[in-house]
Amino acid sequence: MSAKPIAPAIGAPDSPRRRRHLLVGAAVVGAAALAGGIALYQQGQRAAPRDGSAVLALVLPDVDGRQQALSQWRGKVLIVNFWATWCAPCREEMPHFIAAQARDGAKGLQFVGIAVDQVDKVREFAQEIRLNYPSLIGGLGAIELSKALGNELAALPFTIILDRSGSVVHTQLGPLKAARLDALLDRLLSPA
Amino acid sequence: MAERALAALAALAFGTAIAAGLPGLAPKLLPPEQAFRFSARVLDPATLEARFDVADGYYLYRDKLRFTAEPVQVLPVDLPRGQRKHDEFFGDVETYRGAVTVRLPLVAAAPGKTLVVHADSQGCADAGVCYPPNPQQLTLVVPAAGAKPGPYVEAMPKGLFR
Repeated sequence: MSAKPIAPAIGAPDSPRRRRHLLVGAAVVGAAALAGGIALYQQGQRAAPRDGSAVLALVLPDVDGRQQALSQWRGKVLIVNFWATWCAPCREEMPHFIAAQARDGAKGLQFVGIAVDQVDKVREFAQEIRLNYPSLIGGLGAIELSKALGNELAALPFTIILDRSGSVVHTQLGPLKAARLDALLDRLLSPA
Repeated sequence: MAERALAALAALAFGTAIAAGLPGLAPKLLPPEQAFRFSARVLDPATLEARFDVADGYYLYRDKLRFTAEPVQVLPVDLPRGQRKHDEFFGDVETYRGAVTVRLPLVAAAPGKTLVVHADSQGCADAGVCYPPNPQQLTLVVPAAGAKPGPYVEAMPKGLFR
């Protein structure tokens, strides 16, 4: 069958052959649209908020050695920050987190640190900067944990934000700038 | 119609980019073994030369740098001075950028003997991330006394970045 252009057939007297061409053409266009639609849909799925249950399933000791399950903060906007005292950029961003926790804690915001560090160093630093949210002790093993949660480069700081429904809505390698944090919180803490 | 479809597509693309979390720094950052390349050679049966090549935009902490070897021992030495950097928590610290070489005395290294050299290092990127302590190791053979220094051996397989 010769591939005749479809456009000239429009408005021209119908012949069975032309009709067949039109049908084939329409099928091709339809299939292309469907494929495009599927591609977009899949892209949307990939980019859609991820399930945060792996984060909420974590249980780690706090600075007093008590095991803390992250699931206790289910239903809050949960910001999990992997950090260490030996990581200057981590320490530099934490005052913003402390301010946000003080300002928005009552609105359902909960920061939780996971320190890739030793408990005595964490305790000392937490006291020094008056940390107002828990920092759990992950040790060096927490780096592997963060890798499993998307921190492919295994570097710090690494931050994961879960919305109230427990979906991961943002992950960040490197400092989370105050302006960006505030914009995210505006959206996540606004009443549904 | 087409314009509206385009606008919708643009909005969708923008929305997905936001939802995915902007990749931020990730694509530009090197994995630690490329940012901090460790190599070493045996100069003579009494001297090991260890070297770090730090990529532009990255730095190593002097007080986190350690070299050990087995079964031959290396004696501890004063590491070269680094660039001073003020750290609010740790006070003044020293960092290395570019190339840093350290000559370490070997204890009772017999020519032909194989030794494994371990380096522990910890560094950061100016872009605002730090890497956890990074143990690396490589294997060297002690050259005969009076022979030319052995070649530099890299901790990573050759051909990966050359």
